[in-house]
Amino acid sequence: MEESNENKEIRRPRYAEAYYKKNTYYKRISIIKKILSHIILIIVGVYSIFPIYYVILTSLSSVNSIAETSLSDLLPKFFSLSNYYLILFKYPFLTWLGNTLIFCTASTAIGIAFAIIAGIGMSRFNIPGKKAILYMMLILTMFPFVVMVIPLYFMFATLHLVDTYQGLILAYTGGALVYSSWLIMNYVNSLPRDYEEAAQLDGLTQSQALFRILVPMSRPVIIFATLVAFMGPYTDYALAGQFITTPSMYTLAIGLYYTSTGTVVMNYNVYAAFSVLMGLPLFILFFVFQKYLVTGFSLATYK
Amino acid sequence: MKSMKTLNFSNFFNKSYDWKSIIYVIPVIAVLVFLDFYPIGVGVYFSFTNLNVIHFYNYSFIGFANYIAILTSSAFPQIILHTIIWSVGSTVLMVPMGFALALIINQKGLIGKRFYRTLILFPWAYPAFITLLIWKNMLSYHFGIINEVLNALGFKGLFWLGSPSLAMLSLILVNLWLSFPYYTYVFTASIQSIPSELYDAAEMDGYGTLRTLRRITLPMLSRQFAFITIFGFIFTWNNFYPVFLLTGGGPLISTQILITYSYYEAFTYLAYGVGIAYAIISILILLVLVVLANKYTKMMQVLY
Repeated sequence: MEESNENKEIRRPRYAEAYYKKNTYYKRISIIKKILSHIILIIVGVYSIFPIYYVILTSLSSVNSIAETSLSDLLPKFFSLSNYYLILFKYPFLTWLGNTLIFCTASTAIGIAFAIIAGIGMSRFNIPGKKAILYMMLILTMFPFVVMVIPLYFMFATLHLVDTYQGLILAYTGGALVYSSWLIMNYVNSLPRDYEEAAQLDGLTQSQALFRILVPMSRPVIIFATLVAFMGPYTDYALAGQFITTPSMYTLAIGLYYTSTGTVVMNYNVYAAFSVLMGLPLFILFFVFQKYLVTGFSLATYK
Repeated sequence: MKSMKTLNFSNFFNKSYDWKSIIYVIPVIAVLVFLDFYPIGVGVYFSFTNLNVIHFYNYSFIGFANYIAILTSSAFPQIILHTIIWSVGSTVLMVPMGFALALIINQKGLIGKRFYRTLILFPWAYPAFITLLIWKNMLSYHFGIINEVLNALGFKGLFWLGSPSLAMLSLILVNLWLSFPYYTYVFTASIQSIPSELYDAAEMDGYGTLRTLRRITLPMLSRQFAFITIFGFIFTWNNFYPVFLLTGGGPLISTQILITYSYYEAFTYLAYGVGIAYAIISILILLVLVVLANKYTKMMQVLY
């Protein structure tokens, strides 16, 4: 549109005025918006931490009966560590913890080691049947574990692997391996090949070059896969509850579940201490590796 | 494009495959075959047998009898309904809540972003298995802190998990607590991936909050939105622990969903064949829903 100079000069102050009016209006709106945002976020924040705050508080309280729950329990009064003493030394907590660590560490170590090999291999070599393997992995993500638990149970029963350490470790390794190799392959796909080629020129064999160069470079995904592989068995009941029947081989998750159903009788405050002692290590682990976990999980969605 | 879609088997011999490199994937193939596909195959076979605690050693092939029994049972329509209410109800709450919180937290110049983001991380960071049991105690009718708070405020305590009409709602609300942080973080990542020039331009044009949301954020994220929703739906459909730990499907079967009922049929009633048949029905329904959803969202993409 053509406008004469006259018009422009007339309209300029009007624009400025309108802009100024709009500006204060928007400023006010944005202040209200900020206050509202803070209110919402504080409510959501309290909602987020409340159950964890409450269980920690209960575990530190020396009131011994759940029937005496009252509102005043929501405020910290005086603390006692007696519940922690009880759970650690009067219940088989440490045995359960030991079993859990055996299952988690062994299955994670074996699973991730093979996943690194498979992930790098699938990314860098033209392996026959690679596409078939990838499709099989994708299809597997659709299957709920129940379909697998029952036949696995029968299969392991005939192999005398039910109620043994090896059996459950094998089952967990299988679970960790497929997902981890998929993750690692995807990550290695995004890494350039220049470094490993340079390393080969420097005299390393192909496999040496691959592992020495690519393993350090894919550290984020390996950390992520390791944590996921570790956390799964740590709180697994669905599989462990069917495979393990000897009480001395119970994991923490089995112990916690049986306590919650009343099979193992435990005072409520001691139970709270159990929940804290079992959960806190993973909670801290999550915050320490927050960066890897959050990005890992958000990227995994887009796959 | 067409040639890419059709499988070309002669390719298999022409391509220079690294036959030696197969050694890298042998463990994965072994696991896939022996720990995944063999059990799945056996499981599918079991669903056509009368394998249960009575016929533990001498089970026999009975064709579709398990499936027919399930489809004609009076419990089946209820369980399907519960599964749908559970998955749709959870998805409809947690995805928008995650998105709204992501928008709020990502506002320019908001003080204390890191603090709030850390608080929101709590439900995600604490193992769900444990927090679910904590919630179970908090929702207990006689001893739970939630009813205690209600009483103190002058309301009557509710049978959160004990009444058939309220139990599913309680489950969905606990699941919301459990899952909204994940969606907040996922949406935060996708919002941050939108180029900031777009927002600068919108500000120059005098766009308000709602107009920016409608004209920039939502169109830019439409594909991710669809994907995250479908992903969340599938995940919730198969989400076993919230139902299993909080209500165990009860009272009666008022909160049973397909996957928990399958587990109960197998390991409480020891009707293994029926249990697997339930799981397979669940997979088939899910498969159909996912294919339909994919078609629909692809149509959505064309529209944009």
